[in-house]
Order: sequence, then structure tokens, then C-alpha cells
Amino acid sequence: MKIRTLKVINKMGVHARPAGAIVDITSRAQSDVFLIYGGTRANAKSILNVMMLAITPGSEVQFEINGSDEDDTFQKLEKLFNDRFNEEHYDP
Amino acid sequence: MASHGLKDIIIQRRKNFPARDFFEQYAAQLELELKTPPESLRTLISEPDIHRPGLAFAGFTDVFARQSIQMVGTTEWSYLESIGPERRREVFDRLRSFECPLWVLCHGLLPHPELLEMCQNQNVPLVVTRKNTAEFVRGVNRELEGWFSPFVIVHASLVDVYGVGMLYIGASNIGKSECVLDLVERGHRLVADDSVKLVRLGNSIIGHCDSIINHHMEIRGVGIIDVRSMFGIHAVRKVKKVEIIVELQYFQENETYDRTGLASQFEDIMGVKIPSVVIPVLPGKNITVISEVIAMNTLMKQAGVDTAAEFNKSLMKAIEDKMARGKEEDNIFWYRQISGFYE
Repeated sequence: MKIRTLKVINKMGVHARPAGAIVDITSRAQSDVFLIYGGTRANAKSILNVMMLAITPGSEVQFEINGSDEDDTFQKLEKLFNDRFNEEHYDP
Repeated sequence: MASHGLKDIIIQRRKNFPARDFFEQYAAQLELELKTPPESLRTLISEPDIHRPGLAFAGFTDVFARQSIQMVGTTEWSYLESIGPERRREVFDRLRSFECPLWVLCHGLLPHPELLEMCQNQNVPLVVTRKNTAEFVRGVNRELEGWFSPFVIVHASLVDVYGVGMLYIGASNIGKSECVLDLVERGHRLVADDSVKLVRLGNSIIGHCDSIINHHMEIRGVGIIDVRSMFGIHAVRKVKKVEIIVELQYFQENETYDRTGLASQFEDIMGVKIPSVVIPVLPGKNITVISEVIAMNTLMKQAGVDTAAEFNKSLMKAIEDKMARGKEEDNIFWYRQISGFYE
């Protein structure tokens, strides 16, 4: 099991579209994936669970990944977060 | 999205409307009376317009829509009346070289003998309608538009679910017919299974069932069934506007399915954009109840309610409020309760 931290660097935070993009990665993973934020541990494979965290821009979130493809899954998530969820094309 | 059934469709269009068919179909509705012999109904109407030959009567024939129905209204008739028999003869001598598919007089007007004679000589039909010009134009334009509209025959199924026309596409054997049968059993109405004729009328796509197949379906292992006689008249309808396209697809690991409903997808049929959804099919998944939800969601969107967009708006507001409060972590207790529930 691994717990790793990612920073939300997009402008709007984790609203529906970014949440959908996260779930798109986690739901394909063999591993169990949880998202820890603000003292809450949510199932990262459920879009409603991810959205209810209302993650603000600039926050740090932790992914708890447990399973055979944990490294691969984390790399995909890391890329998604660094790419600002592929929805913004600006440099702050 | 890959679109089975809508890929490589051949757009067809009728080239002409035989005057005999036109007369037989609309004689009663438009109160038509044929003034020339029945044999004159041999002509073909090949333009979906009604032409008013006023300018041609006045002498300008360089541009003359001779393939269209020629409609003589009060204006044209009064002009012919005013110029007297001598010049009327000249007018129709000049028009003799143009053979028109159908001449119509409105308001039950009496045709001038010169016009009648020309039609008889050319062996083209001349009819008189009791309707006024506006009524005739309205009635005929709609019928001509329908007749000459582009159409396609697609491998798909069309069902009316809660009044929403849902066109199912997808590979053979994916379960379109079973889904349709399930919907019919739940009280929805079949338009056509397996083969649907789609006609573009204005900015709408109208689906029809085939006149030979009607509401027959093939169920593998059972054979041909007739939905109308088996389920009753309320289970079928002949025509329905296509309002949403549902593509059934075998569940694929690598395919991205819409999770939020925020991204609107469309399919293009003959230049008309129709909202579409892709539903992954898995064994044991109930597509029927999902279909009903899609139909209700479509109705809500038509009524101006976009649930996904509104939900996202309130979520973004929650994020903003949280930022404004300086990221104080409230509601933690509530989150724990919920996430504990899901674990």
C-alpha cells in the first residue's frame, strides 16, 4: 500500500469535470484507491464521493492506493493533476 | 464515437411526384376537380415548389419554373380576364413550348378556354380547387416538402419512451431488439425495429416504420412476432421524431464513458444534430430502466433543467465559499459519516 501526495494546481478546484477525469483513471485500476482530504477518506472510484470533498484549488490531497497496479495508477493521476485535469490552458 | 448503423448511410431523395398520385392523394383534402381528361395525369412533378405564372403571362419567360405546379390565383386570373381573349391566346401560344406538370386554379375559378385548350393540347392536367391560394399553398407545400425530403434507411430501432423518440443503434446481436421488447412490455411504444426510415423535415429527423415490415420484430430463437397484435394498438406508433440517439456498445476497458453528463455529444444525421449517449452493455445490466432515465433526463433538458450543470454549479460555489472562508475544514464529521458508509 502506498500513500502519495498531489497538489491541485488548476483554477477551479475539483469540480465535476476533474472529478470525472480522476474517476476515469481510478475506476480502471485493479487496485483499491482512496482519496484523503481534509481529514476525510473517500473512495476515489466513486464520482460522488470525490465531488463531495469539494477540493479547493491549491490544496494537497493524498491518494492511498493498494494493489498490483498502484505505481501505474499513481503515475496517471500525477500526470492528470500536473496537466490541470486537461481543462485549462493558461500559465498562472 | 463509433456509430454503427449511422456510418456510411446513403441519403436518398425522390426525383418526382407523379401527378396521378398527387391528385388521388389530395383530391378530397384539397377539394380538387380535374378539368382535363384523366389521361392527362401522366405528368411528373419534379420540383417541390409552387410557381405563380404571373410574370410568364405578362411576357417574361426567360426564367420560368416549368417543372413546378403552376398556380393561378385571383391576381393571375384577373390579369387574364383584363387582357381579353385576343391577348390571352397570344399568352398561351407563347407558353405552349413549356410543358408544365400541373395547372391549378384556386377559389373555384372558371378556367379561361385558352388555358384549358392549351392543357388539353399538351395533355397535361388542369385542376380547380375550392381552396383559396393561401390554404392551397400551405397544404401543398407541406406535402411536397415531405415527399421530396431526403431520407435514409438505417439499421436501428426507434421507440417512443415517455414521449421521447429514442433511436437505438449498435452492433448486431448487442440486444437492441430485446431492449425494445422490454420497453414495449413496460408500456412504451415501438415505431420500428431493425430498420428505420429517417426523413429530414426542416431541422427535424422523423422516423417511420417500413410499410411492409410494420411492427413485426425478429426475436432470435423465437422468430417473427407482430408487436401490434401481441401487445395491442397502444404498443405501437407509425411515426416519431428522433430526439435522442442511444448507442449500445459492448463494455470496453479502454473506452471513456461520460460520468458527469456535462459533456454533450451529438450525432449528425443528414445535417441535423441530435443529442446522443453511449451506454456500455454488460451482462445482467438493465438497459430498459436506463432507457427510461435517459428519456426523463431528455425531457428535463427540453424543459430547461440540466441537472449535471446545476449540480456542478453548486459544487463550484461550495468550493468558492470554502476558499473565501480561508479553507477552514468544517463538515468533516459529515464527510466521515458518508465515507464510512461507502467503505
